[in-house]
Formats: sequence, structure tokens, C-alpha cells
Amino acid sequence: MKPGADLIRRALREGRKVLLEPEAKELVSLYGIDVTRVAVARSEDEAVRLAGEIGYPVVLKIVSPDVLHKSDVGGVAVGLECEDEVREAYRRILSNVRSRVPSARVEGILVQEFAPKGVEVIIGLMRDPQFGPTVMFGLGGIFVEIFKDVSFRIAPLRDLDAEEMMREIRSFPLLTGYRGAEPVDLEALKSALIRVGQVGLDHPEVSEMDLNPVMAYPKGLKVVDARVILSPSGGEAR
Amino acid sequence: MDETSRRGDLDALFRPRSIAVIGASSNPGKIGHEILRNIIEYGYGGEIYPVNPKHDSVLGLKCYPTVLDVPGDVDMGVVAIPAAYVPQVVDQLGAKGAKVAVVISSGFSEVGEVELEERLLRAAGKWGMRVLGPNIFGVAYTPGRLNATFGPRDVLPGSIAFITQSGALGIALMGWTITEGIGLSALVSVGNKSDVDDDDLLGWLSRDPETRVILIYMEGVKEGREFLEAASAASREKPIVVIKAGRSERGVKAASSHTGSLAGSDRVYDAVFRQSGVLRAYSVEQAFDWAMAFASGRVPRGDRTVIVTNGGGAGVLATDAAEMCGLRLIDPPPDLAAEFRRYMPPFGSAKNPVDLTGQASAREFEGAVAAALSHDSVDNVLVLYCETAVTDPEEIAAAVARAAGESDKPVAAMMMGGERSVRAMRLLRSRGVPAYPTPERTAESLCALVRYRELRDRGSAGV
Repeated sequence: MKPGADLIRRALREGRKVLLEPEAKELVSLYGIDVTRVAVARSEDEAVRLAGEIGYPVVLKIVSPDVLHKSDVGGVAVGLECEDEVREAYRRILSNVRSRVPSARVEGILVQEFAPKGVEVIIGLMRDPQFGPTVMFGLGGIFVEIFKDVSFRIAPLRDLDAEEMMREIRSFPLLTGYRGAEPVDLEALKSALIRVGQVGLDHPEVSEMDLNPVMAYPKGLKVVDARVILSPSGGEAR
Repeated sequence: MDETSRRGDLDALFRPRSIAVIGASSNPGKIGHEILRNIIEYGYGGEIYPVNPKHDSVLGLKCYPTVLDVPGDVDMGVVAIPAAYVPQVVDQLGAKGAKVAVVISSGFSEVGEVELEERLLRAAGKWGMRVLGPNIFGVAYTPGRLNATFGPRDVLPGSIAFITQSGALGIALMGWTITEGIGLSALVSVGNKSDVDDDDLLGWLSRDPETRVILIYMEGVKEGREFLEAASAASREKPIVVIKAGRSERGVKAASSHTGSLAGSDRVYDAVFRQSGVLRAYSVEQAFDWAMAFASGRVPRGDRTVIVTNGGGAGVLATDAAEMCGLRLIDPPPDLAAEFRRYMPPFGSAKNPVDLTGQASAREFEGAVAAALSHDSVDNVLVLYCETAVTDPEEIAAAVARAAGESDKPVAAMMMGGERSVRAMRLLRSRGVPAYPTPERTAESLCALVRYRELRDRGSAGV
């Protein structure tokens, strides 16, 4: 069985078209890509306990199949340094979501390891009707949003493809030590690109995926948020 | 069917031993007449069998009521009859042992008659016969003196294989290559691509010793991943230039992720071309410009380039274009500069671009181009000639061709001016030197050669 097949099947059986964030991250980490550690708390006390286990500072996020853009509804709190801040943020997120999306089913609150600042990149996967699973790469924020400075390659990616798709974007110099910054770990990025392609090849049900942002560091990287869109009819287009 | 047997079958498409033309007609203007006439008049050497129950003979050849009445073997069947009768005739061709059916007829999936096209395919599949088309203008292969198209007759022999998905555009370009003096090895109209597809043709043409470059006009591919694989393999053998129409369409439809909304189909095609080592041209002119440069068969050793010109303006324009696309203009080392000075007046310039000045004649061009080509510091030479009243473009073209002939390094030439320069350009092309009417097109074509070499070396290093 392919890594993560069970969790995808479970989500589809429950009629869901989107993996919950912890599931999405589990899928990605099963492919050997580093993600920020996460756990779901069902109560305020549990959130405090989990934060202690993960280690401060932490991030809290709403977990709900009905909330796609978590920060838009006040469903995210970052940089929480201590127990009091976790408790306060837990209550605030719940009340924000209840008032802005009253119908949302809330599955809990995600407690997540806080990822230090790195160069923010986005790694994506989509399924082209002609060519099948296709991997996207770009720098996060305005580079993707405004300049659409991204590149694509069809899976499976060779080492060379991953290398070239990174070099192809215009903002590439920001990865190699712009203005005295330390260059990021291109090998780690390359291997993540290749592995994301493999997710697409292994799981026809995954129709789209965004790893956004991914923090790229001088050594290694960390996926801070992951979104996986499922399509039950997947498989026909490989 | 396994890959090797399928590839073998395409031999009959390019080098058929005999051809039956179903729907052959005595009436000029009818497609079945024009194709038969082209086959005969272009000099095809195998047996030709017109088939049409309404005629006893067509264009001096005995005509048979059905293909089954033909006495000899039939290797290729060219089918130009109304669509409704095609499946039956294709079945007969299969029974007769034909290896390939070239189905000219329209009226299939392109107008929604999907079921009819499937019947045609089943009829061919039953006999293991390949189908080109339907909805095409035919196939030509100049090394075999084959012109089974209803396009112009006198296709110039050369080493560019041209695959086109569009019929009208293909026929028009066929005529255009003749007036431009551009030679073709093969010309294939693929139409609906019901069976024979770009990837089949890439496989065959990449192994064809008569073809040096493959040029594809496409609106889209039918089997994406097969194309990716075939193009990756073929581009290691020889350059592939693609012009892909339809750069907008679909794209953003119903995407729920960032990735989905950013991936328009054209961006994905762009990725496919890069990934498979295919050079993408953005206009028909550019595609043929590059193909012509590749047809010379010369592979640059590197990007070090010298421009030899008789005019400052053209030199500067070519310099801009060359640097923009990644050619490196070297400073000629002292011994080469001294050599250049022998071919120019004192007010010329031995720097790059090398300005021989407006009075330069054939002798000066030949000497300077030969000097550049024979020097180790130079990989490529760009020759620019602006027509002047005191010089003869054709003499200069002949001199440049002579100098180029002494070397295996790439040379691209510009002949800019009036009628005489157009003739000079054709003369160069006929001697295997790519020639163009503007400095930019000359420089960019040379760039395409350098880029292909980089792609090919990258491919072999990276796989």
C-alpha cells in the first residue's frame, strides 16, 4: 500500500474533499518531507499539555472542514510563548470562528510547533488533464500572488528537473544568499519537489496540493501549512 | 502491440513499396486527382495503383474498381473518398495487406463524427494497420521521392521534417518553403491523430538519417505522457522545434488551490517542452528560421561568436540580439585581429563586430570569415551583408558559402537588401548556409543552435 493511502481513503469515505491539516501534514511527512510538529487539542487543558510537549513558542489554528482560509476568520494565533497565552488564544480562536462561521464544524484546535523565519517558498501539485501530476515551485507571498513567478514540471521529476525548475524562477537569487543572507538548502528543496511529484504519482485521488508556506533554511526546510484537495473520481487520468 | 513492431510499420508511411490511391479521379481540381498527380510527377519509383470504380484509367495508369482487384501488393493506401465509405475501404486495405492507410477524407471527429472515426480505427486495428489522419493533406518524404499530398508538387529536398496538425497552414507553409528555398526531408499532416501521433513520428524521424531537425506545429497533444517520453528521447538524437498554438484556453477553471489557479495549460506545455529538451518557437517564422539553422547539421562547440559585417548599424543590432539570447561576443585575440585587418581599409574595425566597411567585396568577406572560422577562439560566425551599389550580393554569398564549406563550425548569414540580396540568400541556403534578411533573425537562429547543444549535453549529463 502506498504511504498515506489509508488516511486518504478514510477522508473520502467520510465524504470529505479536503484533508484536515494534521492529515495533510502526516501524508507529506510520510514522504520524508519535514513538517512542523502538530497535534489536535479538543480542550483548553489539552492544548496547554500539547504545547508543553511540542515546546514553546507554538502556533494555534482552528481545525474545521468548513474553514479553508483559517487566518481570514481569525482562526490562527502565532508566537505563543507560555501557558497563559495558549489559553487566551484558544478561547479567542473559538469565539472568532463561532461568530464568523456559525455553521462551521469544529474538530478541535491544532497546536503546532512554531517554525522560525526562513525564506518562504511554495511547493504545489496539480493534475493536468493531458500530462498528469505536475509540480509547481515558487517563492511565497508577493512573488506568487502578484508576479506569478512560478515554474512547473511533470512528475516524475529527475534531479535535473527539480534543479532547473528552481533556477527558472526570476526570484531564484533570493534563495542563494541575497544581500548577505545565508543561502538556503537547495538539496532539501530539490528532494521535496521530487517527493511531492511522487505523492501525485502514488495517489490519483490527490487532485491538488499546496505546501504553503514552506520555510527554507540554510539547513533543511519545514512545511508550515499543507492543503490537500481530494477528488473521489481520481485515478482516471492517472 | 509492442513498440518495435509499431515503429517498423511506419516505414511504409515514408518509404512505401507500392501505393494505392482510393478515390483517384480524372478530374483536375479533385483531391483524388491532385494527390495521384503529385505522386506520379514528383517521381515516386514504386508501383502506383489508382482505385475508382468509375474509371478504367486515370492519368495514364490502369484504374481498379476496388483495392482488392489490384494485382500486386499494396503497401500504402491513400484514401480520398467521402467519410461514410472510409471504414469499409480501410477494411479492404487491411485485407489486401497494406501496412498504412493515409486517410485524407474529412468528416470524422473534427465535426463530431466520433463513432465513424472509431469504426475506421477498428477496421484498421483488425489488420494491425496504422492510420495517418483522417482529415489531412497527406505525407511527403523527399529522400524517397514521395509526395502524396494535395499541396504544391515541387517540395525541395532537405533535412527538415515538418509535422503539422493544421491542414491549411501546412499546405500554405509547404508552398512557402519552396519560394524561400527551404528544403524538407519529410512533411506529415497529422490531422485528427486518430492513430499515428506526434510521439510515433518523433520515434521514426529521430532515427531517420535523412532528417536533421524535426519541426512540429501543434494545437495540443493527445497522449501527454507518451509525448513527453518520445520527445525526451528524440531530442537527444536531434533538435526538435515546436510551435504550439492556443496559448490561453482553460487554465483557471475551478481550481481550489494556489497551484491549480496558477497552472494554465500553456504554462504546463512550457514545462513539458523544457523538461523534454524541446525548443519552443513563438512564431512560424522563428520556427523555420531555427529549423533552417539546424538543417546545416552543424553543432556549435560553444557560445564564442564573431560577427563579420560590412555595416556598423547591422553589427550593433546583431550584437544586441546576440547578447540578449546568450551568445558570447569575444574580443578577437591579437593574431586574429591582425588577420582581420588584412581584409579591411584602415578605417575598418578589427574588434567584434568586425567591420569590413561598405566597400568590402567577396574577397574581403571570404578572407575574414575563413580567418574567424579557422581560429581556435571562435565557435560560431555571424556574417552580415548590407547590399551596396558597389558590391554584388550573389558573389559575396558564394564567397561566404566557400569559406563556410572549409569548416564545420556554424555560420549564419544575413543578406539584407533588394531582389539581388533575396537571390543571394537563396544561394546560401541551397549550399547549406542558413541565411536571413535581418540581423535579429540571424543572431537568434544561431542562438538556437547554442541552446540546443546546452540542452542535449544537460540531458545526457542529468539522466
